[in-house]
Amino acid sequence: MKRRTFLKMTGAAAAASAFPAPFVRAATPEEYHIAAILSFSGAYGLIGGGMRRGAELAVAERGGKVLGVPIRFSWEDDETKPQPAVQKATRLLGQGANMLFGAISSASTLALQSLSTQRRVPHLVTISADDALTVPGGARYSFRTSNTMGMEVQMCVEFARRRGLRKVYVVTADYQVTRTGFEQFAARAAEVGYEIVGSDFAPLGTRDFSVIIDKMARSDADAILVMVTGNDGVTFVRQAGQVALGADRVIFGPVLQDEVLASVTGPAALGVNSGVRYHFSLENDPNRAFVEAYRAAHGEFPSSFAGEAYDGMRWWLRAVDESGSWDVEDWVKNFESSVYADSVEGRKQMRACDHQAAQVGLWGEVVKGEAPLPELTMRITDIFEADRLFGAC
Amino acid sequence: MSTIVIGLSLSFLLFLLAAGLTLVFGMLGVINFAHGALYMLGAYVGYQVALTSGSFWAALLVAPLVVAALGALMERSTLSQVYGRDHIYQVLLTFGLILVIDDATKLVWGMDYKQVPTPDLLAGPVELFGAMIPAYRLFIIGFGAAVSILLFLLLDRSKWGMMIRAASADPDMASTLGVDVARVRTGVFAFGAYLAAMGGVVAAPLVPVELGMGFSVIIDCFVVVVIGGLGSIRGAILASLLLGMTRAAGYTFATEWVELITFVILIATLMFRPQGLFSTKGRAA
Repeated sequence: MKRRTFLKMTGAAAAASAFPAPFVRAATPEEYHIAAILSFSGAYGLIGGGMRRGAELAVAERGGKVLGVPIRFSWEDDETKPQPAVQKATRLLGQGANMLFGAISSASTLALQSLSTQRRVPHLVTISADDALTVPGGARYSFRTSNTMGMEVQMCVEFARRRGLRKVYVVTADYQVTRTGFEQFAARAAEVGYEIVGSDFAPLGTRDFSVIIDKMARSDADAILVMVTGNDGVTFVRQAGQVALGADRVIFGPVLQDEVLASVTGPAALGVNSGVRYHFSLENDPNRAFVEAYRAAHGEFPSSFAGEAYDGMRWWLRAVDESGSWDVEDWVKNFESSVYADSVEGRKQMRACDHQAAQVGLWGEVVKGEAPLPELTMRITDIFEADRLFGAC
Repeated sequence: MSTIVIGLSLSFLLFLLAAGLTLVFGMLGVINFAHGALYMLGAYVGYQVALTSGSFWAALLVAPLVVAALGALMERSTLSQVYGRDHIYQVLLTFGLILVIDDATKLVWGMDYKQVPTPDLLAGPVELFGAMIPAYRLFIIGFGAAVSILLFLLLDRSKWGMMIRAASADPDMASTLGVDVARVRTGVFAFGAYLAAMGGVVAAPLVPVELGMGFSVIIDCFVVVVIGGLGSIRGAILASLLLGMTRAAGYTFATEWVELITFVILIATLMFRPQGLFSTKGRAA
């Protein structure tokens, strides 16, 4: 290659990369490329598979197309760490991805959000709960269609009030979003008169909770709040089961159990109470149709992660299609003011002020299921209305 | 008192995980990064055996043997080619083995997590010194103590141990005296894999069986091996006790400081006694 040719090519590449990504992509609508960065390994590795199946079903339901072109997913594993998440997302954006989907851990999702803002690429969040992801006047291209930690903490407070729990021992994953959640719970607990009789912060990836469980067993707590999820939540509940901690104490947490986690936890999950992001038993037509399609495709009931991914992706793609445009700004404007009347969870409304979906909150308890339900299944015990969970924007 | 009992269970679980790693280094001089992957493989094979037979005890018996056989195959086909080379080749090779084992595990069992139930006999708690201790923890203490004694006797007091130590200390001389050094090395690596897999099966009722479980455990194993002294079984036992008790006390009084304290001990060891706190040069056991 001649020196002049090399310089021309380098210059052209530099100029192209200087344009905002959507500008470049607007001219290439042969496909709609979704860069999906989820966890298939690491602390939240259990969650990624269900999300993938849910999102793929949302696409399949549309005939695999949006704006008249085929939709293509690129699936990447962030290993539940921000750095691989950013590296892999950057590579996919370099290949012309039209949007980011993910991640699971809030640390990774916040990192993707920064990338989305820098590159002006839409970013769909359907599981991460950190309140910082959706703040008034926050990230313009980022949207969350699922729960926030704030609303889940509020559900925990409400659950404790309804059950008449007075003394709570808290174990929290030593991780920013859960620490914030603990602080919110502690503040609300003081207001409503619960006593926090003990609290511990366990490093993410803790494999042995035995000492903490022993401290809980020796305390006079009548309830155990577990602000730990994924593998760590499973490990905690299993090890708590080995000393029958739940026999005389209520074990609960914002995202502690669902059918997937309960199946790995085993019988120790029985009686554990948890916030539920989505549940297949919800009685409405869109949910019945989704559950039927999911069971036909995968031979099992959808997990909460699958349900949330399906619901969010379906909503987003509908908004993109309705915009009738390849301009990212049109997608954003259309989505931020949309109402999703036929969500599988009932009605959702995107709040333009913070790009957070206002929605109901579900709460359930692990019980024994009878066929065709999973052996351990969630029974939805409470549905909290959106106006009780979300403050004014 | 419950803190001490739990500390002992943490210690012996750590020892079960680290014993194979220190054995392979002590006898073969190989830093086996794939030890965590073998531990994970042991847990998966254990899951499969437990699922098929309905017995945890069958899993504990069979899975380590299966992984030991695979370990022997790995050693013959890969490691045996690089014994004479620099350590970096062995490190890179064993790192490559991690990727192979991980992908093979993913192909066979998928990415979903698996659950190995606690055996019925050990499912409940036992009241001890006024505290409720899981019976399974007591089993880990007893089992870990038995394994450590057997390992010590095997390496320090038996004819096999003498052959292994001879092949490790001076392979040429041992070979001249009729010891099949290549076979001894294969046997040692297979035994290291056996111990790793045994650790995986023992840990399986406590944690979800999943693809990443080997990565998280290998760090703990290296901490034990470095503090105890590379290659010293006796050191591994004492380092496991030190770490297990430190963690139990740490989680009791200052949870957030546990990891920091652990790594401060590690760094202090490397700075002031790099051969390990309990290392005795020339000894394997």
